[in-house]
Amino acid sequence: MTAQEIHDNLKAKFGEAVAEAKLDALQPWIRVAEDLTGEIAEFLRDEPGFEFDYLSCLSGVEFQDGKLGVVYHLNSISKRHSIVLRATCTKEHPHIQSVSQVWGTANWHEREAYDMFGIVFDGHPDLRRILCGDDYPGHPLRKDFKVPEFYNGMKVPY
Amino acid sequence: MLTEFGKILIFFILGGVFVAGGLIVSWLLRPNKPYPAKLSSYECGEEPVGQAWVRFNVRFYVIALIFLIFDVEIVFLFPWALVYRELGLFAFVEMAVFLVILWVGYAYVWVKKDLDWDKPMPKLPTLVRRSAEPVRRTAPAEAL
Amino acid sequence: MGILNYKFEKSNIVITSLDNLLNWARLSSLYQMQFGLACCAIEMMAASASNFDIMRFGVIPRATPRQCDVMIVSGTVTLKMATRIKRLFDQMPEPRYVISMGSCSNCGGPYWEHGYHVLKGVDRVIPVDVYVPGCPPRPEALLEGLIKLQEKVRKESLAKKTA
Repeated sequence: MTAQEIHDNLKAKFGEAVAEAKLDALQPWIRVAEDLTGEIAEFLRDEPGFEFDYLSCLSGVEFQDGKLGVVYHLNSISKRHSIVLRATCTKEHPHIQSVSQVWGTANWHEREAYDMFGIVFDGHPDLRRILCGDDYPGHPLRKDFKVPEFYNGMKVPY
Repeated sequence: MLTEFGKILIFFILGGVFVAGGLIVSWLLRPNKPYPAKLSSYECGEEPVGQAWVRFNVRFYVIALIFLIFDVEIVFLFPWALVYRELGLFAFVEMAVFLVILWVGYAYVWVKKDLDWDKPMPKLPTLVRRSAEPVRRTAPAEAL
Repeated sequence: MGILNYKFEKSNIVITSLDNLLNWARLSSLYQMQFGLACCAIEMMAASASNFDIMRFGVIPRATPRQCDVMIVSGTVTLKMATRIKRLFDQMPEPRYVISMGSCSNCGGPYWEHGYHVLKGVDRVIPVDVYVPGCPPRPEALLEGLIKLQEKVRKESLAKKTA
């Protein structure tokens, strides 16, 4: 299935939730609404013809216009096609629906996105920091992050 | 000039002196600077959670108890074996009676399943699906 | 304080002989707290393997801090790990020593400028005796660091420390 067909089928099923797409890029991507990512993910995994059973990567991003977002790279092992999904959210309301019930690997990937960017995944069974310490101030990979001076009595900068 | 037992006494005393001497010398020479962080329980670097003494399963106690009883029985067999030649058939019958009594107990323990080793059953995690219907699969995957 | 530690004003033949004996015993059997954190741990493992064989110096890896004399901190020390390192160092009985192996535990290493969760040098939490530079240091460099530590242990004394 080509990216155009995937986009058309998704738009037919979900309508408004599937927004812009850039299908002529090297990796064609489709933007989806952030409060329906779970349903769209389940549809993409279960629907015969799509069968995206492999989530190869889930990355948190901060875009140039200040919005946070998540990029999903999906592959299908049986059907041998792949697609990239994007979901964006604002810093004031950083909520995206979780896909950890659909693909088990998303559990830790979403914890990393939460740790690094502060994106809260609704429906995640165990959302807590995975890399930084539990009481680390701030989310490091945001562009407006400042390194703390002291952490638990240790001086952090060089 | 010393009896045989006297020599064993000297042996015991020297053994005690060696052990005590080593412990006392190391007590004199080693540094001893306790403070609360050093005395806390070791838990791979984390704050210790829960008790350091845990309750263990009773199956270990049962096995140790049964071992003890039959071990004592074996201990009784050793001096009996030493005097067996002089006593002859009488010794054989007597020990057979003793053993049969203990074997009745062994059979009881066996049949009552006290010798079975209960392993704990681990609980495997399950994937929670969002929708109630099972995952639909199409025809077998296309030839790769 | 031990009963006899640092109680003597000046050294005499008995103290120096005892010193020599104790120091020789301690430096020949520096049990190591295996503390491999990152890439330097691979070099530490190479030093423990047959080609370079740190065990011939008496350095046996023990998993628990209660039985160790030396902690070889090899690898990047994150802020999350630093509290654990402090606790484990506290749980080691005296006499205890620390070898800091590699750039990351010496000074933060390649992450000194932008590392937001890296501790710039393990000596910010525990006292270090020997620094072994390198990224990662070769196993021979670790062995040299160990020998320098042995020389340091050789100079210790039961006599009181004067200024």
